[in-house]
Amino acid sequence: MRWGMVINLAKCTRCHACVAACRIEHFLPLRVTWPRLIALEVEDEFAVDVSTWPVRCNQCKEAPCVEVCPTNASYKREDGIVAIDSNKCFGCRYCVIACPYQNRTYVSRKRAVNYFPGYPLTRFEKKGRELYPHQVGTTEKCNFCMERIDAGLAKGLKPGIDREATPACVNICQPRALTFGDLDDPNSNVSKLIRERNGFVLHPEYGTEPSVYYIDYRLGGAPSNKAPREAQTGHHIQHLSTVYEPMKEKLAKKHFD
Amino acid sequence: MKIQTARQWMVTHEWMIKPMAQTEWIVGKGVLVWLAEVFSALGTGLYIASLFFFKSAPLTAFWGLVFGWIMIAVFKLPLHLAFLGKPWRFWRAFPPFSNAWRTSWFSRGIVFTMIFLVLAAVQMVLQGLIAYNAVSEGGAHWGGVYASNWVFMIIAGIFCALTGIYCGFAMSYCKSVPFWNTGLLPIVFLIMGIADGLALLMGVGLVTGEGVIPPAESATRIILIINALLILVYLVNANYQSTVAELSVKELIVGKLAWVFWLGIVIFGIVIPFVVSVASYFTGEEASAGLLVFAIVCHTIGAFSLKYGVLKVGIYRPLLPKGTAY
Repeated sequence: MRWGMVINLAKCTRCHACVAACRIEHFLPLRVTWPRLIALEVEDEFAVDVSTWPVRCNQCKEAPCVEVCPTNASYKREDGIVAIDSNKCFGCRYCVIACPYQNRTYVSRKRAVNYFPGYPLTRFEKKGRELYPHQVGTTEKCNFCMERIDAGLAKGLKPGIDREATPACVNICQPRALTFGDLDDPNSNVSKLIRERNGFVLHPEYGTEPSVYYIDYRLGGAPSNKAPREAQTGHHIQHLSTVYEPMKEKLAKKHFD
Repeated sequence: MKIQTARQWMVTHEWMIKPMAQTEWIVGKGVLVWLAEVFSALGTGLYIASLFFFKSAPLTAFWGLVFGWIMIAVFKLPLHLAFLGKPWRFWRAFPPFSNAWRTSWFSRGIVFTMIFLVLAAVQMVLQGLIAYNAVSEGGAHWGGVYASNWVFMIIAGIFCALTGIYCGFAMSYCKSVPFWNTGLLPIVFLIMGIADGLALLMGVGLVTGEGVIPPAESATRIILIINALLILVYLVNANYQSTVAELSVKELIVGKLAWVFWLGIVIFGIVIPFVVSVASYFTGEEASAGLLVFAIVCHTIGAFSLKYGVLKVGIYRPLLPKGTAY
């Protein structure tokens, strides 16, 4: 069993509901965000291309963060989820730097501030500190709502199918851009989507084997698909263009020409 | 494709689409990592350099070992611990509490450092006995002390080198930062550390007056040339490695950090010490004490600059790049 997620880029409406759901589910401190949404607009002479990329911890099979962790605080569960034991983490931030997907956050005092500085804690914050304490001085990241998965499995529910056992961001996603399931099961919803719609991962060249896949209507499952191979390798994301600072424009030009 | 600076909407995390420099290990509290790594290089370099003079200049070697050990134990370790978010949990990195040393260079580094500190402490005592003639040459215990010193010198020397090189490996492991992601980095750090160590040893030699300076200057000349070549190869290699590494090189050489590179690393770290050592070679006389102290100070500034520059221009590979360019 290996839990994975498929994100349909064409369906994402950039509503940020997944970000909000995660914040509520895990009582995230004010300046800590586990799933993120990258939205950028790139224009060429023909059209304006708006792309939205929901990103979160890729729960890599060969996770660099687990390898570099000096205290074994980052560990890999049997179901493929990369989790962090906050009681073991000593905050060296090596994993933050080593993560090629930049999806780890160090919870510093600056980040873990009250929602309303100078005022007493809200009921939400008080409850959060009781139910889901976040330790300042440690590192955090998305864990696919493993508490929900574990509790759901204990009740005989199926993650990805039953809402109670499915990550909060997947449940909340109104356009159904997020799909959750077992990557090891060839008949699971995620395996089917990856197979049929040419799912791809970010930066496959790192060899980390992420569990978060992306599908794109233009380059994935559309009949006019012209670049299935590139889609599989992630090379298709050329259209996004990397945003250079003005001073680097000359350098950018060199690589785009 | 027409190139335009893209307009961004809702840039909540622009480091994922733009090449952005890492800040964790150099900004704010991250400065402690920089300082710790500098003292790591200086301490291990001084210790290793001192080992080569254990017989010809025992007193200088002894004090070199002591100062090298102090730099690691009193500066490097506490600075690293102070950087941690939860310093009192440092014991979790040690076996048997963790088996992370199998994969984590950070954990290995802590283990190397602790073993080095213990072995070096024993070796310093032995070297001290020899240096201060506590055991007379040819006496009953002389052979034993001398042999033990040799054994501890070799083992402590190996762990000292590992302590000096591990931070380079820890950084070179990071695929997310292409500028660091090269096998040359640990070698550059180690060699630069030894060059700095030799310079500091000359400072110790100035006080003890044991005639360490001429051989140390000869070694410095060679090591500085090797070091300059290594840095050059490292930068050229990074320049061809990837676009992000190229950006790092440009940032270091012609960007905002050019002063750190040209002034700190090149002029203070390499050129001035090299000129001083070459001048003494051609004049056939030892450089004056004042000039030597100046060269040592310049060398040390170079050590601080090298680590600062490398840490500061560690630019992340963007998450959503042009696929093949990065």
